[in-house]
Amino acid sequence: MTPALTIEDLHAHAGDAVLLRGVSLAVVPGVPLTILGETGSGKTLVAEAAMGTLAPELAASGRVALGGAVSEAGAPDARRGLWGRGIALLPQEPWLALDPTQRVLAQVAEGHRFIRGLAASEARARAREDLAALGLADAVRRYPHQLSGGMAQRVAVAAARAGGAPLLLADEPTKGLDADLRDAVVALLRGALEAGGALLCITHDIAVARALGGEIMVMLRGEVVERGPTAQVLGAPRHAYTRRLLAAEPQAWAERARPVPGAEVLSATGLAAERGGRRLFAGLDLAVGAGEWVAVTGPSGCGKTTLGNILLGLLQPVAGAVRRRGGLARTRYQKLYQDPVATFAPRLDLRTALAEAARLHAVPWAQVAAMLDRLRVADALLDRRPDQVSGGELQRIAIARALLPDPVFLFADEPTSRLDPITQQETMEVLRDVSAERGLAVLLVTHDQAMARKVAGRQLVLPGP
Amino acid sequence: MGGVARALLRRAVQAALVVILVSALCFTLVRILPGDQALRIAEGRYGYDRVTAAAADAVRAELGLDRPAIEQFAAWVGRLARGDLGASLVTGERVVAEVAYQLGHSLMLALAALAIALVIGPILGLFAGLRPGGVVDQAGMVGAAALRAMPVFALGIGLMLVFGVALGWLPVAGFHEAENIILPALALGLGLAAASARVARDATVAVTSAPFFRFALLRGLTRAQAVWQHVPRNAAVPVLAYLGVQLALLVEGVVVVESLFGWPGIGHALSHAIAARDVPMLQGTALSLGLIFVALNAATDLAMIALDPRRR
Repeated sequence: MTPALTIEDLHAHAGDAVLLRGVSLAVVPGVPLTILGETGSGKTLVAEAAMGTLAPELAASGRVALGGAVSEAGAPDARRGLWGRGIALLPQEPWLALDPTQRVLAQVAEGHRFIRGLAASEARARAREDLAALGLADAVRRYPHQLSGGMAQRVAVAAARAGGAPLLLADEPTKGLDADLRDAVVALLRGALEAGGALLCITHDIAVARALGGEIMVMLRGEVVERGPTAQVLGAPRHAYTRRLLAAEPQAWAERARPVPGAEVLSATGLAAERGGRRLFAGLDLAVGAGEWVAVTGPSGCGKTTLGNILLGLLQPVAGAVRRRGGLARTRYQKLYQDPVATFAPRLDLRTALAEAARLHAVPWAQVAAMLDRLRVADALLDRRPDQVSGGELQRIAIARALLPDPVFLFADEPTSRLDPITQQETMEVLRDVSAERGLAVLLVTHDQAMARKVAGRQLVLPGP
Repeated sequence: MGGVARALLRRAVQAALVVILVSALCFTLVRILPGDQALRIAEGRYGYDRVTAAAADAVRAELGLDRPAIEQFAAWVGRLARGDLGASLVTGERVVAEVAYQLGHSLMLALAALAIALVIGPILGLFAGLRPGGVVDQAGMVGAAALRAMPVFALGIGLMLVFGVALGWLPVAGFHEAENIILPALALGLGLAAASARVARDATVAVTSAPFFRFALLRGLTRAQAVWQHVPRNAAVPVLAYLGVQLALLVEGVVVVESLFGWPGIGHALSHAIAARDVPMLQGTALSLGLIFVALNAATDLAMIALDPRRR
């Protein structure tokens, strides 16, 4: 079968740094191709090369064959005319990719009207059919802020494909989604394939690759280290890096002895919470002992974060009471946030930020340095600003900061959801070590069932709406 | 439509507050101004050269200006509650009738100025924002900063000197011909246009770098199509929001511009009423200006709700 997209011998470098080294691929209709790799592996650059949106300062070479035409990979705007017609890009975080002031129907109809050249009324009729086929018949008159994350994802797919492009390019389509939504997105992508399309999916999520099937390429530092049928590569990986990636999946983590809960650090009785007048949970009882790990799981919007904030005293419950162990400062109950970047002052270097927190809690710098060493944070990183280090590095620094006041209880709100799998595993290992040593109790909010089962002594499942 | 009801209710409360505060403030301010109120009113009636102390005393007795201040204020509030703004102390005309006549002229001027601001500002801002750093952007934004920095009275005199005196194209005063409105409306509208051009420019830059604009291009729309489909409405939201703030300048500018161009509106009447210590006229005109401000703000609120579905 003729490939929908072929990339040959793609190279790119910025100054002395080689970003892509001889990447070649072919995507044929009906067989999904997944590029698996972590941040910085160059997988997004491959997608940009396919679209023709590589930054001009990256010296790129190689050829891209798309829609029957061959062009230079680095040529600016070489494939501009094929956008929407030959290749459709599914946006990351689709709720941001929709015009907030325009109804859903109009945004999908644009493709039919401007790219296929249909009359306005005909375009609207076709858009209505597209949306109905995705189960959105009732949502055509809604605005984006009235859609759930999953609905926004489907609208974005309909809008991206309205121009009739046979090739769908999905760059991290499950970024920021919980497990249920992730499965829905995979089903959506498979639906596009079954309709005769071709699919190139770029992800760091092995579960997505496994669910899509087809072919897979594993990238590391700008090179393809392994490729083949997905079932074969994930079932019997040959390259050391692929094996390392697979070992970083929570279900593959080594079993460790679950800590025996010590003296109670926190208890709650009859808790109830509401959001916007809607009941989230009621009659919830919970007691957490020293060193214990409790995982809180449940669908998006079920009140996991609200529960943690109530336990810390950041929010007041509608009913019930929280008892923290007497004689302890409030700061001995700490929180680790999902997005570390948002928890550091953006223009302050990390050393200053940590030094201020250490001074506040009267902790000598030597102790901070020892913890950073333990978390494998290089001293040189501290002279950078929060946006100049990777997410994994910053989350480890955030852990060091949260540990400064010697907490007895840590509310970890999806602390690794934005990290690559290997970094996720390393971060969780360190957190488990520290917890075991100090008897630190952890309430872990997560979307990842496998991780919850692996690390927690027990699970609390919130039912959700 | 919860958003509409909420917005109108908020503005209704604001209107009530304006009525109470403006009338109390006017009443107090006139009393603490230097000079004898009765003498000033008598001057207004009979002329500077013919006024005598006896005439001033007669005015004082006739208007009850010698009664305690609190008694006079209570009497005025009582009449106001019945919708009676009283009569001018100088001409004896009903204030309602005078204000009704002036209100039409002031509204015409204010709307003409707003139209100028909304035609020039956002369009200039849009073109500047589509090519940040380009010629339109740099020249337009320097011009906007200059216009914005210039006081209304200086701009008005400048326009008179150029178009009225040097070129002789337009009359510098009067109100009977359609062309009479051009210079005062420009004097009032150009400053507003300059401010909204800046906001429209920044809003356009923000929209064209938003993910949804990028997505429109990636879906295959040409840049012109993407701009036409997605920029105007999204960029209009901050422009309108800022215009609501700017309306205070419009009301303030009306007073200056009307006096400058001899435009028979409320602002003109207000400055005369202050000079003549004509308390009922002062209260009537200041109230009208305050209420125009509230009404224009309510209109802005409604337009924002119409433009941005997230506010509904």
